Amino acid sequence: MTENAGSDSFVDLLINGVKVRAESHMTIVEAAWAGGVPRVTGVGCLEGMCGSCRILLRRGSAVSVALACETFAEDGIEALFLPAPSAARHQYELTDFKDGWDIQARFQEIFPEAERCRHCHGCVQSCPKGIKVEEGVALAAAGRFREAGEAFIECVMCELCDNACPEQIAPAHVGLFSRRITAFFHLRPPNLIHRLEELRQEPFSATDEKESS
Amino acid sequence: MKRGLSLQAALAAYRADSEPAPPPELIDPDALLTAYHPDYLRDGIATLAVGPNTDAHCPRELADLLQAEAYIDEVDLAGVEVTDTDVLVIGGGGAGCAAALAAAERGARVLLATKMRLGDSNTVMAEGGIQAAIEPDDSVQQHLQDTLRAGHHAGDPALVAALVGDGPEVIRWLIRQGMQFDQTASGDLHTRRAGGISAPRIVHCRDYTGLEMMRVLREAVTQHRGIEVWSQAPAVELLSNESGRKCVGAVLGSLDGQKLRIVRARSVILATGGIGRLHLHGFPTSNHLGATGDGLVLAYRMGAKLCDLDSFQYHPTGLVNPPYLSGKLVTEGVRAAGALLLNAEGRRFIDELQPRDVVSAAIIRECREGRGIHPETGGVGVWLDTARLERGQPGLIEQQFPKLLARSRIAGIDPRRDPVLVYPTLHYQNGGAVIDVDGATTVAGLYAAGEVAGGIHGHNRIMGNALLEIISFGRRAGFAAALAEHDRGPKKVTLEHVNQARRALTLAGLPLTRRAPQMLPAYTAPGKDIWKA
Ligand SMILES: Cc1cc2nc3c(=O)[nH]c(=O)nc-3n(C[C@H](O)[C@H](O)[C@H](O)COP(=O)(O)OP(=O)(O)OC[C@H]3O[C@@H](n4cnc5c(N)ncnc54)[C@H](O)[C@@H]3O)c2cc1C
Ligand code: SF4
Ligand code: SF4
Repeated sequence: MTENAGSDSFVDLLINGVKVRAESHMTIVEAAWAGGVPRVTGVGCLEGMCGSCRILLRRGSAVSVALACETFAEDGIEALFLPAPSAARHQYELTDFKDGWDIQARFQEIFPEAERCRHCHGCVQSCPKGIKVEEGVALAAAGRFREAGEAFIECVMCELCDNACPEQIAPAHVGLFSRRITAFFHLRPPNLIHRLEELRQEPFSATDEKESS
Repeated sequence: MKRGLSLQAALAAYRADSEPAPPPELIDPDALLTAYHPDYLRDGIATLAVGPNTDAHCPRELADLLQAEAYIDEVDLAGVEVTDTDVLVIGGGGAGCAAALAAAERGARVLLATKMRLGDSNTVMAEGGIQAAIEPDDSVQQHLQDTLRAGHHAGDPALVAALVGDGPEVIRWLIRQGMQFDQTASGDLHTRRAGGISAPRIVHCRDYTGLEMMRVLREAVTQHRGIEVWSQAPAVELLSNESGRKCVGAVLGSLDGQKLRIVRARSVILATGGIGRLHLHGFPTSNHLGATGDGLVLAYRMGAKLCDLDSFQYHPTGLVNPPYLSGKLVTEGVRAAGALLLNAEGRRFIDELQPRDVVSAAIIRECREGRGIHPETGGVGVWLDTARLERGQPGLIEQQFPKLLARSRIAGIDPRRDPVLVYPTLHYQNGGAVIDVDGATTVAGLYAAGEVAGGIHGHNRIMGNALLEIISFGRRAGFAAALAEHDRGPKKVTLEHVNQARRALTLAGLPLTRRAPQMLPAYTAPGKDIWKA
């Protein structure tokens, strides 16, 4: 196990405009708490899975986005907690899909912008999870939903890529659509189906509530 | 506690190619539990003096909240905006989303109010998977027996029968919502074993099962035309009818201001999750920031009976360092795949796949008796030998546990090269609000589903049953709440139950200074709380 914590050197940074002195092994979330920064409400799981603690980071003239629970305090940087993403504009319910043959046509209706990707890499550069967002969008636009969805397996739905996209493609939702549609139409596991059929013929009833063995 | 080895010394002594002998046979698990499991720490236990569970024991941190005063009073409700709905769901994790979708399926108008962003929850972090008896050499009956046995036969057999019977259908429902699961080459769902279960039964999506479930359910809920979602709208109090005995709605606050809103509903479903952030007995936790037991407090004040409040799950393998990840989980799947637990002397001390309470107690014993490993950053732990696992099955960690790797990378740790230091972490609330098979609590109009509810897991939960429970019982509660009879006549909403609870506190001589629910843990600089009523 590598030690990277434990040193108690201090760093000075700015969080939501508030000057904060923090220990260098602290994350931006911990630093915000320690510094008493008010109104930091977008913090959830503290392990990079819920995608809520979105921040804008300024290091000198370089600006980037990140998740605050996975970003460490550094001297001289500025962090700004971003508001939660606004509601998605794309409306669909899977149960409205009658047939797997017209998925691509429906996809184009729901996400008409997906074909207009201008390969600016904005989404890729903003993704804190290193997801090949742009490739994923291209795969979905080409109707290759299984592969597209696979690209988004580690997506935490922080929607930072959606914010970055100049074409308003909503790449995160394209990815999620691709995953969902794949499961909805193609996941038909024999072992599950067999057990469901057995239970349909003979519903489970726990007659013997004591342990039989 | 006797001091063991320093981290450096233990690392220097560690050999990934050593061949540790099998662990000593565990002769008396009950004695091990009584001596070392945190549930048996007498000092931190209080006896409840008011409410439906008077005389029951529970950890002091929880008792303080169950016996606290409400934030609001009738005067606070004057002029507050009122919204009407059929079903109010409180909590936006897996149970809340499943309940909302089920109620909407039955045609109810649904309002889902949640404390943080929809999906900020324990659900999103679940790694290992979800149980369903689907393999040919498995059966629903076996699932029933495993669950009851692991819970030390304290679970309610009727609830457990409902849970396990729903298993296969729950997986089908999740697939219909668009959730993916790992498959074998022949297209079957891939199943894993885990501690305390008699057949491979855990289906999963890599080690991202909860993430996959939560993003799919969040999308299903937000896309559903019949469900309205209010984020950052924590429930501050429930509302009762004039007798104080029936739940008729809730008062919602907001995280970023002082605004209150009243919601009147035919039925209310509590799906607020667990209590990890109360740090019972000072333990670190695997839970998300909002896991402060709010639902228990709200339900109890309204007179709902709770159960097994003295039983919590401490997951054996919480991370010890780096400090910012302290208490965060390494999934049990890693042990199920064959990783060993080793003490500072490099010895095995427990069969790694014993039930979680037993393994946790054994780790605490090793550390207390001077066979633990102490990093400079504080804390103590034992090795989870991921490096040996990787050596035996190269590539396995990357393939099956990408989340473990991704998180370690950021922390500067490589579990493929070095073992990982672990110690038990407060993980799960085994008990909760007493419910029936429809998720109905003992208070009319009030339902509970998910971790906030009790009665299923007895005194110990096996991996994968919580994710099953939140969908199975989330949907049961959603259906029942949507179909519930509703009162005719004027809808009067009161805080009569709060008045009654206050009288009881005064009669018992308890102070009215403390207020609950807690909403968020007090991690901030003094006087700068994130949440303040
Ligand atoms: C790290 C980790 C790994 C796990 N792994 C597994 C696993 O592999 N398999 C398994 O079966 N189980 C696992 N569990 C357990 C399982 O994930 C949880 O028990 C389950 O997801 C709880 O779901 P829930 O919907 O009841 O609660 P949660 O998912 O926690 O959701 C509760 C919701 O209620 C909201 N809330 C809280 N208070 C209020 C309030 N006052 N007002 C409004 N909203 C409120 C919260 O913000 C949250 O959105 C794991 C748990 C953790 C923490
Ligand atoms: S793909 Fe988009 S939403 Fe998903 S993690 Fe990356 S930036 Fe966040
Ligand atoms: S940000 Fe949008 S336009 Fe740019 S590469 Fe990504 S998907 Fe294409």
